Amino acid sequence: MASDSHAAEHTSPLHHFEVHNIIPIPEIAGIDLSISQAVIAMWIGIAVVFGLFMLIVSRGVSPVPSKLQSIAEVLLEFVRDMVNEFIGKEEGKKYFSFVGTVFFFILACNLVGLIPGSYTITSQLVVTGVFATGIFLMTLVIGFAKHGAHFLSILVPPGVPKIMIPVMVPIEIISMIARPISLSVRLFANMTAGHTVLAVLFGLAMTAPGWISWAPFGFTVIINGLEIAIAFIQAYIFTILTCVYIGDAVKLH
Amino acid sequence: MPQFEQIEVFQSLMFWSVVSFMLLFFLLKKFAFPPILGALEEREKKIRSDISEAEKLRQEADSIKADLQRELKSAHEKADTIVQMATDESKKIQEKTVQETQNKVRQMQSDAEQEIQVSRNKLFNEIRGFAAALTVASAEKMIKKSLDEGDHKRLIEESIDEVLREMESKGA
Repeated sequence: MASDSHAAEHTSPLHHFEVHNIIPIPEIAGIDLSISQAVIAMWIGIAVVFGLFMLIVSRGVSPVPSKLQSIAEVLLEFVRDMVNEFIGKEEGKKYFSFVGTVFFFILACNLVGLIPGSYTITSQLVVTGVFATGIFLMTLVIGFAKHGAHFLSILVPPGVPKIMIPVMVPIEIISMIARPISLSVRLFANMTAGHTVLAVLFGLAMTAPGWISWAPFGFTVIINGLEIAIAFIQAYIFTILTCVYIGDAVKLH
Repeated sequence: MPQFEQIEVFQSLMFWSVVSFMLLFFLLKKFAFPPILGALEEREKKIRSDISEAEKLRQEADSIKADLQRELKSAHEKADTIVQMATDESKKIQEKTVQETQNKVRQMQSDAEQEIQVSRNKLFNEIRGFAAALTVASAEKMIKKSLDEGDHKRLIEESIDEVLREMESKGA
């Protein structure tokens, strides 16, 4: 980074997306695994999720649930219904833990990023990309393991006339490849955009003259509320699409 | 945009996010999901079994109610039959009694009439016998008197005495 642009970057609304290494780890085989503030924020998020679950479990789950247990049950039922609907009731049991973890991991990362000074790791395209690619590869593995070479028929939608197959197959290949791209870009873009808007509004609130600065500050509060909703919605969308993709591979059509 | 420019941190971000995800996955799968899902399923099972139990009990109650109603109805019918039978029986007995009494009375009446008739006939016969004897005796005496005017009264007296004697001897 050029030092003359450093001052400008500090006032840039994109400044807070910069990752700073906090705990440096020496390079191993040319790979730098230093722990940054983004990783620590993610750890805090998943630690809260796991801690809450452990709090419920250690108190002892009962058929008559406590308030905290009710919330966990509502969320788990929510995930289970998605899994049941898109993957199937029996097949879904195998994938529930994975899908549930996807939901809670993304939700935790999205929400923890809304704390000022924290970091939203899901606003990193490489992170959302590695998950989307991982899920995409997983669906391929599931599909070929379950259906063998017959899985390739996923490229031909049912009911397509034979003459259309040479046209449909490239289209379907493109749409298959578009899945992980859209999955990762959607989450990354939503998180980045929300935080950028917040940063812009907060920058305005800081720089505007005192008599008007309450207006952009008020907006940051409102947008923050909106962002909480978006954190849930994006976690939901990512999870439901994961279910749909796994379901496609399991059911084949 | 730092997300595209800070290439040097990509490896670390990807590595730690995947490792953390896998850690969370194993922790949740091992410790968190099973007990909560278990509780959910247990509750669902309990609710389902409770509902089916309640349904079963309701059906049982319905069948018991129907049984009781049927029994009550048959008991009513039985009672009606018994009352009917008793009424018929009593009516029959009553009629029979009346019939018997009437017969008895009629019998007694006819017996009495017959007895009266017999007594009367007997009495008449006796009276006729006495009257004949009296007539014969008086006629005999009157004939005797025509011969003897002075003995007329005495003859009648004699014949009356004779009759009286005869009656007395018969009565004795």
